[in-house]
Amino acid sequence: MTRLDMINATESVLVEREQLIPIAEAALLVARLLMETGASAKTVHEECSRVVRGLGAQHVDLRSGYDSLEITIAKGASYITRIVEIGPLGVNYRLAHAVRALAKRIAEGEFTTAEAISELTRVQKGTARHPRWVVAVGVGFACAAFGRLLGMDWAAFIPVLAGGTVGQWVRQILQRHGVNVFAVAGGIAFLASGLGALGSRFAGSTTVPLAMVASVLLLVPGVPALDAQYDILEGHPTLGIARAVVVSMTVIFMATGVLIAGVLLGVLK
Amino acid sequence: MTVNLLHLVHQALFGAIAASGFGILFNFGWRDIPWCAASGALALATRTLGQDAGWNLEAAAFAAAVVAGFTARLLRSHLGIGGHDLAAAGCIPMVPGALAAQGIFGLYALTAPTPINPSATLVTSMESILRVLFTMAAIGTGLAIATLVLRSPAKTSLPASERHEFPKLRLKE
Repeated sequence: MTRLDMINATESVLVEREQLIPIAEAALLVARLLMETGASAKTVHEECSRVVRGLGAQHVDLRSGYDSLEITIAKGASYITRIVEIGPLGVNYRLAHAVRALAKRIAEGEFTTAEAISELTRVQKGTARHPRWVVAVGVGFACAAFGRLLGMDWAAFIPVLAGGTVGQWVRQILQRHGVNVFAVAGGIAFLASGLGALGSRFAGSTTVPLAMVASVLLLVPGVPALDAQYDILEGHPTLGIARAVVVSMTVIFMATGVLIAGVLLGVLK
Repeated sequence: MTVNLLHLVHQALFGAIAASGFGILFNFGWRDIPWCAASGALALATRTLGQDAGWNLEAAAFAAAVVAGFTARLLRSHLGIGGHDLAAAGCIPMVPGALAAQGIFGLYALTAPTPINPSATLVTSMESILRVLFTMAAIGTGLAIATLVLRSPAKTSLPASERHEFPKLRLKE
């Protein structure tokens, strides 16, 4: 190989490497959005892999942790590795479905890399959420319905609905202010179960302890608990165990909040 | 097996309301909320039928999750990519949050300065916690079975023959 050939080969590698950077950014954006909206690790890996191949890279390795994602992608002789931090994990299926639909289109070659990043950013910013009061009332009804499923009497239905609604409303305010998730779980459990207990006692309910528990079921992290299982079943035990620990801690804080409210109100001993 | 129809309708109705409420919390679009309700009603009706047949909570929850998961999978053309998530939303009302709280209350009671009947409290508490674990495992496995059985094989990574060979790193001496 002549010196000129070597220079050309090096330049080619550098050009390919430059091209890989935005592909990695697009893939990490997809992966981060899916993680933050409640997808399991397998879904994140599948969609990320599709996007990388759709944008022209040949190889992808993704490592998903609880609070960060690392990706290595390669094309020809070039490869790069990037890492991104993940925000708070929540559940937002409308955004998750929009991102997955877009990932499918990217995989089919509909977008250039720059267009893909721009479209992903647009979807992230443009996906609607239900108004906060709608979410609060919806959650209130869910708690009251939960109570009925647990055997709570009708007298406690409206108090639990009110407790759950107020609890969710305050929870949204605390989340917006970035309060620690476990402190939110404990505080909201205390508030919602206290309101549920006071209201159901006033309404003449004979199932006040059940009403207290039903008022806080909005805090039970059902989706993260299922994701933890899927992750472990599908070969991502590290992430699965991290999720399971967070779920357990949330339930402990929730139960503590209910217990304190119950002892103060004389409902629980 | 005797089926109390009124109880079955009650459980299905409140399963539907609970699943819809959680559907809103999980930010499903309005178009999907009726599917959340249907999924919740189906899951709770199946669980109630199972319990009426004498099954324990875990077995009934497993059957309910399998039915919800397979139904969502079979209706995939209507539900789109969100089918599995709709099935999961329907199963959320079966998550035994109340049992988990009871189990933790029992553990707290054991740490009191003079616990009342500690052996019985421990047994009750552990029973609650084990039932939570088994019920969650039953729901998760039940939902996963439908995906694993009916999944179209997705190409998630390149076959080994097409895999990229990374250049070997050479350390400077």
